[in-house]
Amino acid sequence: MSGAAVNTYKADLRAIQFTLYEHLHVEQVFTHAAFSHLSREECDATIEQCLRFVNAYTGPLNGLADRAGCVLENGVVRTPAGFKEAWRKLFELGFMSFPMPREGGGFGGPHAIAVVLEELQSGANTAFNMYQGLTHGAADLIEVFARHEDKERFLPPMMEGRFAGTMCLSEPHAGSDVGATKTRARHVEGNLYDIAGTKCWISAGDHDLTENIIHLVLARIDGAPAGTKGLSLFIVPKIRVNEDGSLGKPNDVVTASIEHKLGIRASATAVLNFGENGGCRGILVGDQPHMGMRQMFRMMNGARIAVGVQGLSVASTAYLNALAYARERRQGSSVKHFKDPNAPRVAIIEHADVRRMLLEMKAKVEGMRTLALKLALHFDLAYALAKTDEAKAMYHQGQVDLLTPIVKAYCSDQSFRITELAIQTYGGAGYVTDHPVEQYCRDAKIFSIYEGTNHIQALDLVARKLQEHGGENFRQFLKEIAEFVDTYSHQPGIGAEVRALGEATDALQRGAGALMEFFMGGKIDQVTLVANAFLESMAEVTIAHLLLQAAIIADSKRGQHGDDQSQEDFDFYSGKVMAAKHYVSYVLPGVHAKIGAMIGGDRSALDVTDGGFSTAF
Amino acid sequence: MKILATVKRVPDPETSIKVKPDGSGIVTDNVKWVINPFDEIAIEEALRIKEKVAGSEVVLVSIGGNAAPNDVKEQLRTGLAMGADGAILVVTDAALEPLVVARALAKLVETEKPDLVVMGKQAIDDDSNAAGQMLAELLGWPQATFASKVELSGDQKSATVIREVDGGLETLRFPLPGIVTADLRLNEPRYASLPGIMKARKKELKEIPIGDLEKAGLDVSGRTQLVKMEPPPKRQAGKLVESVDQLVELLHTEAKVI
Ligand SMILES: Cc1cc2nc3c(=O)[nH]c(=O)nc-3n(C[C@H](O)[C@H](O)[C@H](O)COP(=O)(O)OP(=O)(O)OC[C@H]3O[C@@H](n4cnc5c(N)ncnc54)[C@H](O)[C@@H]3O)c2cc1C
Repeated sequence: MSGAAVNTYKADLRAIQFTLYEHLHVEQVFTHAAFSHLSREECDATIEQCLRFVNAYTGPLNGLADRAGCVLENGVVRTPAGFKEAWRKLFELGFMSFPMPREGGGFGGPHAIAVVLEELQSGANTAFNMYQGLTHGAADLIEVFARHEDKERFLPPMMEGRFAGTMCLSEPHAGSDVGATKTRARHVEGNLYDIAGTKCWISAGDHDLTENIIHLVLARIDGAPAGTKGLSLFIVPKIRVNEDGSLGKPNDVVTASIEHKLGIRASATAVLNFGENGGCRGILVGDQPHMGMRQMFRMMNGARIAVGVQGLSVASTAYLNALAYARERRQGSSVKHFKDPNAPRVAIIEHADVRRMLLEMKAKVEGMRTLALKLALHFDLAYALAKTDEAKAMYHQGQVDLLTPIVKAYCSDQSFRITELAIQTYGGAGYVTDHPVEQYCRDAKIFSIYEGTNHIQALDLVARKLQEHGGENFRQFLKEIAEFVDTYSHQPGIGAEVRALGEATDALQRGAGALMEFFMGGKIDQVTLVANAFLESMAEVTIAHLLLQAAIIADSKRGQHGDDQSQEDFDFYSGKVMAAKHYVSYVLPGVHAKIGAMIGGDRSALDVTDGGFSTAF
Repeated sequence: MKILATVKRVPDPETSIKVKPDGSGIVTDNVKWVINPFDEIAIEEALRIKEKVAGSEVVLVSIGGNAAPNDVKEQLRTGLAMGADGAILVVTDAALEPLVVARALAKLVETEKPDLVVMGKQAIDDDSNAAGQMLAELLGWPQATFASKVELSGDQKSATVIREVDGGLETLRFPLPGIVTADLRLNEPRYASLPGIMKARKKELKEIPIGDLEKAGLDVSGRTQLVKMEPPPKRQAGKLVESVDQLVELLHTEAKVI
């Protein structure tokens, strides 16, 4: 099936709406002045139109574009057929502007809704959505930090989809180690600098969707200190932009090559040479040099959350496709008739092991969605309360900071695992290109690598975020769970699971204590050895908490309607309860194993000699 | 130029429909409601005329409920988000037959005085394909049904409409005011854009209790009665054949088609 456009995207709007309004009560943001210009009605209408858009325009291109990939020809990258039209339509409809501030020409919508729009768009076509995601991130950074005149020059065309954006950090020798950046900037006059250097792995680094591309480039001004502190950020257009907004001459940004990749093959990943011929001009972002890392962190934090949402989105459609297949595919008979060779064949969804895989995928997908939306809600409340209630705003911002590495790392790790489970659910059919799950799995692998590998996220969590505000953010996080456990530990039907959450949270706290001891004992290598396991444990506790919360709400609704309740409602709410119980029984106990190992202090991976891995070389 | 475009709420064609066990109607729990696809085409056509003829106004009209479970306001808001200027909802929870719908629309035409009424050729729920024709009759206006192209004269005094008829196309010209019902190929309806959605909230959505129209002489009594609804017979399971020969054999002996 190489030629036909098939939309395999599946979204579960009911599940999304439950999390938004029945669980997290996102509608609370509309009571704050920052969001009072909107209501649930417009937000729901936006979600609905966005779903229609992706089903009609980007979803059908997903498989085709994967097979076609991007092509570099005569120094210019060509995106797969259909991308240009989809891009034009996307900006005609204006979804990218939804969360942008109204002063910047956006609609000032809550991030909790924007995350849903991202889920739909990334799920339908991850590669296509990269171009928009980076444009949005770059526009947001310019809107926050750039000088007024630069905003006026660059923002409107970005908001209209005439210019795209990128983030240029990575270099051949500076991947995880951003401080090793070699790209140089030499002062010309005012805010203008000459830029020279090579950036690699640049997503959306070159393409034919827009008339211009605005690169945000980290570079070191001549004479600036080494490390990240000496980095400055520059607006480097592919084609120079005159003060009146018209396009000038090319800015000496050369696309040297694009990568051939496992997944997201329709997203161009470029090696860019800046100033090979001495003609690349960059405009310093803002008025001060050496602020580059701080400024770039704005875009990186947004992008880290966005990568977590990418993970969620691909996992969700993979799960829903596997579910649909499991309902159709008939194979084997019910285990109840295992002795009877003539027993009727059943749909594979009737087999216990298939149900196990489906429920694990459901629990993780819905838990991850709740986590991402809860983070976004904290973000919205921090913004809404910034001027009226500083203490509360700080609490919400603290939770955003704490949860960002967890959303990035857990949702991206699990996305790959869930898409792998989806392939397993299909059997052989999942391994071949007739079905979409093999692509989902390939697309999902990058999420744990870019935007800071998941180990970099784990280091951010254990070395920075846990200690932030004297540990107050983490204390608040634990307190919220402790209160939940206190309230519901004897809840009929689910009390045992709530108590299990309490025990896992205690273990997590012991793990945090062990980390402190390693730090104080100077065993930094031991901290880094267990950082990923700690992050995963904290994620599992968080997800279990959210799933149990959802289950208790669902259980109360399942009771309320009694006999009047439709079968669909009953099924929906029961599924929520089952997903939570399954997660607590089969996933959450892993926390005890991981924390136990941490505290046990095994150092084998550190102590093994390099030759001990293998003497074969 | 003033154009009325009619809107009916129907179950999303993508959702599976279940008939109530007693046959009195369909199960409406968890049904996703959308604008009747043919009405969406009618709205689009009205908007395209408005974009061509300066100073035009598009008003949506619907007859239905203003609260759950019969609420059609969401569909009207969607039409407003597409770009219509205002909407009128004649409020009733009763399921009306096409003749009563046509009579109610005729009452609205009296007060709204449109130059053109654009309607879907039929609603995809009960497929009656009658309201447009009945409205034309009640008003004594010309009509062009199953339109696949609509063109107004430069002075907007007449319309030329290409109709899809069995085995071909027919071109009609008639003086305005008149009625056009939209067929599938008339246009491809736009999606509501984000700016459109944001503006829709501030547009007027006027509710008129159906009683008000009755006081003005509307007769709501119907002539038909829903006796029973039945789901279509279940499709029989297919049969896998071993060879082409066997297929030909079965097509001959069992299906009796060759
Ligand atoms: C498809 C794709 C798109 C990308 N898009 C962009 C983009 O748009 N812009 C951009 O700037 N970059 C982009 N990147 C680059 C990406 O962010 C880097 O690949 C990533 O940061 C890792 O850097 P690296 O590849 O050099 O790996 P390395 O840094 O060499 O890491 C290799 C391994 O070593 C580990 N490691 C490295 N340092 C440490 C340490 N100090 N402690 C412990 N472990 C460590 C890592 O976790 C990893 O497992 C993209 C990459 C890809 C593949």
